[in-house]
Amino acid sequence: MSESLAAPGDCTDALRRGLVMVLAGGQGQRLYPLTMRRAKPALRFGGAYRIVDFTLSNCVNSGLRRIYVLAQFAATSLMRHLRRGWVHLLADDLGEHIEVLPPQYMSGDRWYAGTADAVFQNLRVLQDERPALVVLLSGDHAYKMDYRRMIAYHLAKGASLTMAALAVPREKARQLGVMGVDESGRVVEFAEKPPEPKPIPGRPDEAMSNMGVYVWDTRALAERLTQDAKQHGEHDFGRNIIPAMVKEGDRVYAYEFVDPKTGRPAYWRDIGTLESYWESHMDLVTVVPELDLYDQEWPLYTARGHYPPAKTVLGSQTRLVDSLVCEGCVVSGARVERSVLSPGVRVQEGAEVVESILLDGAVVGPGARLRRVVVDEHLQVPAGYQMGLDREKDERRFVVSPEGITVAPTGVVFH
Amino acid sequence: MSKEQTSRPVILVVEDNANQRLYYQEELQDAGYEVVTAGSGPEALEVLSGGGVDLVLLDIGMPGMDGIETLARILEVNRELPVILNTAYSDYRDDFMTWTADAYVTKSSDPSTLHESIREALLKRGVQPPEQPEGESEGE
Repeated sequence: MSESLAAPGDCTDALRRGLVMVLAGGQGQRLYPLTMRRAKPALRFGGAYRIVDFTLSNCVNSGLRRIYVLAQFAATSLMRHLRRGWVHLLADDLGEHIEVLPPQYMSGDRWYAGTADAVFQNLRVLQDERPALVVLLSGDHAYKMDYRRMIAYHLAKGASLTMAALAVPREKARQLGVMGVDESGRVVEFAEKPPEPKPIPGRPDEAMSNMGVYVWDTRALAERLTQDAKQHGEHDFGRNIIPAMVKEGDRVYAYEFVDPKTGRPAYWRDIGTLESYWESHMDLVTVVPELDLYDQEWPLYTARGHYPPAKTVLGSQTRLVDSLVCEGCVVSGARVERSVLSPGVRVQEGAEVVESILLDGAVVGPGARLRRVVVDEHLQVPAGYQMGLDREKDERRFVVSPEGITVAPTGVVFH
Repeated sequence: MSKEQTSRPVILVVEDNANQRLYYQEELQDAGYEVVTAGSGPEALEVLSGGGVDLVLLDIGMPGMDGIETLARILEVNRELPVILNTAYSDYRDDFMTWTADAYVTKSSDPSTLHESIREALLKRGVQPPEQPEGESEGE
């Protein structure tokens, strides 16, 4: 379970022959209304990025450059982003590629039933490419991970499946998929939301949670998928396939994801809810965020528009504190605190934006006050308007999460 | 081919070669099965849409829609239906899709493996295969 088992360079051949499948088909219902018209992985994140950019940057930085993205709901937004930001990064002539796979394999008249079905329907791709291993990832996680270390571990263990694991306090693990491991890192138990999560050997207060980051032996994956396809069930890796493998004593290992510099659990967030979306943005505006966007050693790639520089005017009235401000933004004599402004946002005179996320091209009119809100692309918040200050009033017009995050989605009418 | 009239399990033989189709039909009828036949993948799907089939014996090398494609389409409409791939070649075993079949039988002059695979697949689904006709006559 250690990071230092093998140097990243030990798996060059496996990387070259490895293939990535990114599951990007989730509907993102718990992120509604932000996912009303766009796929969750294509949702803006961290001002300049889309959620899927984190996983894809991890792939490219790890040397994994044969990438398939399994899309489904509102796939147009995702396809457009990949075309603008990603396709040109990879060299087709060198066998590198990023391609979107819609539900397709068989008769083509049904959508993916579950995560395992999504891969099963694309079995033909595995057949044709015959990769040495398959790295199966999720398109809606924010984290920076060198998959080479995990692959080296997977190869050293001779595993059928290696699952990335994050150590969490046991009480928190009750909400998660939890692996029980033995001293060697082998997974001997796996359960979704267990009432009594099995502790990590020698660490009685912690449990291993499943991150949804998998390295598969291709043959083992194909075997499990074809078996699962014949069963009734949800056709889900976490609910069906992995529990069956563990029960049958297949070689399933947990790879603990830690920050190689500190040895502590590394930053990883599943951007599944409005709350986690907002919270992970608040993580980014802290003085030294755990998820460092400024690390030149691990560049984050994305599609970028052609914008002029960010600008502040009316300096004596402008107060811009602990915020991410993207290119093309203009903050004119307004107060912006602990907020994230995507490209092309305008915040006008006397407005106040606190702990909020403004997506591309949003305009906050003069004197408007926003607190803990998410404003969707190109919306114009009228002068003097208030959001996030009166929950009862907001609930009549916007979506307000149980935790009090107010979202103004595209198409909303302010009055 | 209605199952109600006969308690014998119904096998759909999918085979493009007419001689072989007849051979398997007779072989399986002699073993006590009810047999329906199809000469191609699309024809097989047509037969299956009518229901009443307990098991499919599927040739792989067929012109047009081959057995693997047919297998995928069968799986699409009926995940439980047992399918046995029956082919002269073992190379197809490398195709992941063939792994969804209950068995992969290489065609040979000795049909005992085929019979055994059929019995196993039926029993797994709770369908009782016919009594094995010990030393019975040679059909026709």
